[in-house]
Amino acid sequence: MNQIEIDDLNKHYGAYHALRDINLKIPAGSFVALIGPSGCGKSTLLRTIAGLEKFTGGTLRIAGEVMNTRPPRERDVAMVFQSYALYPHMDVERNMTYSLRLKRRPREEILERAKSAANTLGLTALLSRKPRELSGGQRQRVAMGRAIVRNPKVFLFDEPLSNLDAELRVRMRGEIRRLHERLGATSVYVTHDQIEAMTMADYVVVLRAGRIEQQGAPLDLYDRPANRFVAGFIGSPSMNFLPARVAEDGRTAILGEADGQRIDLGREVEPGREILVGMRPEHLQIRPASDATGLQATVELLESTGSMTFMEARLAGAPITVSQAGRMAAARGEPVRLQIDPENLRLFDPATEAAI
Amino acid sequence: MTAFFRTFREGSGFDAVLILCAVAYLLVFSAFPLVYNVIMSFQSVDMFSITDFNRPWVGWQNYIDVINRPEAWLIVKNTAIFVLLSIVFQLGLGFGLALLFQQDFPAATFLRGLFLAGWIMPGLVVGTVWKWIFAGDFGVLNYVLNHLGIVTGKIFWLSDPAYSLYAVIIANIWLGIPFNMILLSVGLAAIPRDIYEAAELDGATAFQRFFSMTLPMMRATLGAVVSLGVILTLQQFDLIAGLTKGGPANSSNVAQYWSWQLSFETYEISAGSVIAVMMIAVVIVVATIYVRSTTNEQSA
Ligand SMILES: Nc1ncnc2c1ncn2[C@@H]1O[C@H](COP(=O)(O)OP(=O)(O)OP(=O)(O)O)[C@@H](O)[C@H]1O
Ligand SMILES: [Mg+2]
Repeated sequence: MNQIEIDDLNKHYGAYHALRDINLKIPAGSFVALIGPSGCGKSTLLRTIAGLEKFTGGTLRIAGEVMNTRPPRERDVAMVFQSYALYPHMDVERNMTYSLRLKRRPREEILERAKSAANTLGLTALLSRKPRELSGGQRQRVAMGRAIVRNPKVFLFDEPLSNLDAELRVRMRGEIRRLHERLGATSVYVTHDQIEAMTMADYVVVLRAGRIEQQGAPLDLYDRPANRFVAGFIGSPSMNFLPARVAEDGRTAILGEADGQRIDLGREVEPGREILVGMRPEHLQIRPASDATGLQATVELLESTGSMTFMEARLAGAPITVSQAGRMAAARGEPVRLQIDPENLRLFDPATEAAI
Repeated sequence: MTAFFRTFREGSGFDAVLILCAVAYLLVFSAFPLVYNVIMSFQSVDMFSITDFNRPWVGWQNYIDVINRPEAWLIVKNTAIFVLLSIVFQLGLGFGLALLFQQDFPAATFLRGLFLAGWIMPGLVVGTVWKWIFAGDFGVLNYVLNHLGIVTGKIFWLSDPAYSLYAVIIANIWLGIPFNMILLSVGLAAIPRDIYEAAELDGATAFQRFFSMTLPMMRATLGAVVSLGVILTLQQFDLIAGLTKGGPANSSNVAQYWSWQLSFETYEISAGSVIAVMMIAVVIVVATIYVRSTTNEQSA
């Protein structure tokens, strides 16, 4: 069953078209990430699901019911805000149980649920603190607690980890994911961090300028990007794109100038066609210049994180990035050979940017 | 001498000079008149001794005199009603308008600006305008009330002792609403929007959001507005001068206007000082309660 169903949803802010023809089905219990560059409409879509924004066309269903004009409080969704939006005048316990008190649940039940949420999130010692007496990470937990106490149909997260430091962010990533598995509720998670999206979600939706560019399982997006934008957005470092022209044989392409290097495409493409060849940095292998085969490139810069080495190089006049596990040494200007399995090449049309 | 100039150049001397200026200003224009007023309230001061500081000391006699005057309790009662009703309605209506203009509707900012227009008018002008509105024979208020069928016949708002105080209060409420509205708008604007959104998702109706978010978070602002309102209402003078001059027969007289009448109309300067001192005491109490309540909130 689909917990959330969005059909042809459109949203305007005055003349600005913020969401365009959004179609999205989110099965119950799944963890969906909305991802895209800043200003693409991620928060707008999330807030539309919550009912905090009205939309100008289409239908939104939650658990099968049409929600188009329902106020947020009738939608049974909980949201974790980027700013946390804790109630400053209430202590942690009252922050978490506000919704239950509004519903006039019995006092024992309220206490019980507050305790169990506090237990889950490690907030037991902080129940009587005010939000301003908490650290950023603790506030984030309270915001999560406020959502899970309600046991809602849908959890909405708007970049909940973006205010935390790197280490805490990685830890909370795992915790949110585990929490999701335990509670089994549907989660929609907005982030602009593609690592977060890839590691946490079982379904990723890529937005650009208010439009869904592609949706699917994380590894599907990585393996089969529908267009150049998704190919460049998913994966880190980004995919390299080199302009090329398909040779007469239809199986190789000539990079850069007419007399440039040839690359094996591994499949048939219409001869003479202009294309963009996409190569992921991690799919390129660095070989010594003395090798007989492979693309000839020159080293420009090496960066090492200890476990990984990133090489900036120039290939057919264009800058490219190569990443490789382990360490290596090479001097600036040194020639190298780069090899790539034709299976790992992604081809795009330079005009439409769609995958070929 | 060079050392003196050096401290000046390095800043510490300059700081001291700035502070001295402020302190000197306060001493000359606030502390001195205040103390002088308190001293006068214990002396026998009249037209002849006013220029001479060496006046007979009479202790609490002036206070006893003032309290025993036949009009004293009427004026105390009037002052209490004046302050209480003014505050309640200024605050209520000002809060209502602040909430209204917080909403996003066409021309909201323009209308809010219009409300401010009333505030920049001098009390005396407001008094004169309201005098026309209240006029018994051809005033617009009577005209409207008659046509709506709320009353029949004429109410002599300013010359009927049963109505004169309330006429002054109505005009004062009108005058004070913009002030309340602006301060409360500032307080409302300081509450983050996302808290309301979170509360809405938590299931709170507009009503519940008002009582569990807006009101508690406005506590400090409301305290400040009430305290300032009490002080400003106790200062309200020119409106009364413009409308009723405290009459008829003291029916709309309040402490501050009485103090002025005694000091500058009948030249019973000691009596006028006594009332001023008692009003200062009230203001100090109000200010203390306010400061206490806000510091408690911060430490809570
Ligand atoms: N209230 C509004 N009025 C007009 N335009 C708005 C409003 N809110 C958002 N927008 C516009 O809609 C677009 C999408 O905004 P949104 O907040 O959804 O972006 P986002 O994808 O969440 O970006 P970020 O990653 O920076 O949070 C932006 O171009 C923004 O300028
Ligand atoms: Mg956003």
